[in-house]
Amino acid sequence: MGILGLSKLIADLAPQAIRESEMKHFFGRKVAIDASMCLYQFLIAVRSEGAQLATVNGDPTSHLMGMFYRTIRLLDNGIKPVYVFDGKPPDLKSGELAKRAERREEAEKALKAATDAGDDAGIEKFNRRLVRVTKEHAKEAKELLTLMGVPYVDAPCEAEAQCAALVKAGKVYATATEDMDALTFGSTKLLRYLTYSEARKMPVKEFSYDKLLEGLSINNREFIDLCILLGCDYCESIKGIGPKRAIELINTYRDIETILDNLDSSKYTVPENWNYKVARELFIEPEVANADSIDLKWVEPDEEGLVKFLCGDRQFNEERVRNGAKKLMKSKQAQTQVRLDSFFKTLPSTPNASNAAKRKAEEAKKSANNKKAKTSGGGRGRRPK
Amino acid sequence: MFEARLGQATILKKILDAIKDLLNEATFDCSDSGIQLQAMDNSHVSLVSLTLRSDGFDKFRCDRNLSMGMNLGSMAKILKCANNEDNVTMKAQDNADTVTIMFESANQEKVSDYEMKLMNLDQEHLGIPETDFSCVVRMPAMEFARICRDLAQFSESVVICCTKEGVKFSASGDVGTANIKLAQTGSVDKEEEAVIIEMQEPVTLTFACRYLNAFTKATPLSTQVQLSMCANVPLVVEYAIKDLGHIRYYLAPKIEDNET
Repeated sequence: MGILGLSKLIADLAPQAIRESEMKHFFGRKVAIDASMCLYQFLIAVRSEGAQLATVNGDPTSHLMGMFYRTIRLLDNGIKPVYVFDGKPPDLKSGELAKRAERREEAEKALKAATDAGDDAGIEKFNRRLVRVTKEHAKEAKELLTLMGVPYVDAPCEAEAQCAALVKAGKVYATATEDMDALTFGSTKLLRYLTYSEARKMPVKEFSYDKLLEGLSINNREFIDLCILLGCDYCESIKGIGPKRAIELINTYRDIETILDNLDSSKYTVPENWNYKVARELFIEPEVANADSIDLKWVEPDEEGLVKFLCGDRQFNEERVRNGAKKLMKSKQAQTQVRLDSFFKTLPSTPNASNAAKRKAEEAKKSANNKKAKTSGGGRGRRPK
Repeated sequence: MFEARLGQATILKKILDAIKDLLNEATFDCSDSGIQLQAMDNSHVSLVSLTLRSDGFDKFRCDRNLSMGMNLGSMAKILKCANNEDNVTMKAQDNADTVTIMFESANQEKVSDYEMKLMNLDQEHLGIPETDFSCVVRMPAMEFARICRDLAQFSESVVICCTKEGVKFSASGDVGTANIKLAQTGSVDKEEEAVIIEMQEPVTLTFACRYLNAFTKATPLSTQVQLSMCANVPLVVEYAIKDLGHIRYYLAPKIEDNET
């Protein structure tokens, strides 16, 4: 799932690329949301007394509950969401998917063991691990979104890639997902924790692609190679190369080919038939629908339709659904506050400020080097064990 | 080396009061022409632009251009320690990471100095294009503050409608509607009480009360306020700071959503 350790690497080496702010500061922005990720979160998190919310027949409705209220919350804050659904997984992902299936099997076994042992905590834990988003869930979610007047996009392949394409085409401001590979696909802005529940009080983290490349002093191709080295969903990574080593290698050799030529093969084993090239292609030119042809429209919600869809068998409280629909209406009618950045253009930073920034970056580098020296020393000490 | 000295701490206090509600932190850009500050509020709806000319200071020296990022809350706290009549001096070395603020009582008997840490702020400078405004209204600053305060009780947003006859501020909400009309002053006896309208074309624009009320925190700096408006362009609210410079606020308008 995503890129291993990327967010930590960015926080350590390019902290200027991350900005934390409250949700309300994003008002007036359109964001593309990875729907599959969202549904998965809701299925896991939206529960009462450990059990999923369900219809009279026992089909889960947690995802609908989550989708309904989180979307309302976004719109209430003036954010316009567009949901992007996954299409078929790329062939390269089969390895990763097989691994996930394996883990499910393990979880299933563990669940059985826990049930036999009567271990309640264990049952709950493994039950959650067995959650998966099915086509049926996605279909229901789409139906709900249509009734709410919120647009969605069916990605031909990976949702993150499609989100990134929408951002690049200027259709939306950012991608909201927890999955860092949206950055690898070149999404200029990535928002984390945007769809988290209000109760968790998580500030929204905004990652800027440009500042990130600047901070790591690499270009977009090198960044893709870096992500492959860190470990992505599409191919294996080289054992023994962690985030620190990966960025060092990229900084010295600039691409995977050169790294492989110079890599000490006695120390690191490169996976057999390592198809990093295909993975790289996938990141550079993912299969996406042309963003320019996608028309995003937010329309008025269908209150009666919502009540019919959610109340009946799905056992939602009618009053709450109607209240929700009213909120949707209100956010639709309110005049929109424009942001100043749509009138005034950002100037390139003054030489004064950029000098100061450079100085600071150099200092940061120095202190990072010191730290590195210390930690590598510690590593050496540990190895003999 | 940077050094700037003002005869009265009260002006600096008022300036801080005028910006600290909108901005948590900001960068003071110092050069030999004076001090400049430009920053947007957190949600990027309004912008504060402050200009203090070097000739307005009792003493001003700036050898190298200097950007001082400050936490405005801390700065305001320090200024609270000054008496209104005190002399105030700001000092910083080139490339320093602190600024020293010194207060001297009028009779030179008490001298206090405060050192504050500077911050390296990641700031975006905006280029503001020259605009020919359709309407420019000058009115007493107190009057404007009063209108904004009163209308905020009715609605989140206020409509400003400017015609040849005068300027109308209105708001409507659950309680009802409110309209305040100001006519152009016929004969100007006292300049600070006059309402003067220069109009090329009538304009009607909607703005969020919250921000207008934040701008009126600058009222103590000036007797008059100038509102410049043009369709589909941010409003400019300007307060002159006598003999020293001005503070300008820019506010993006609210628009009808036409995406449906």
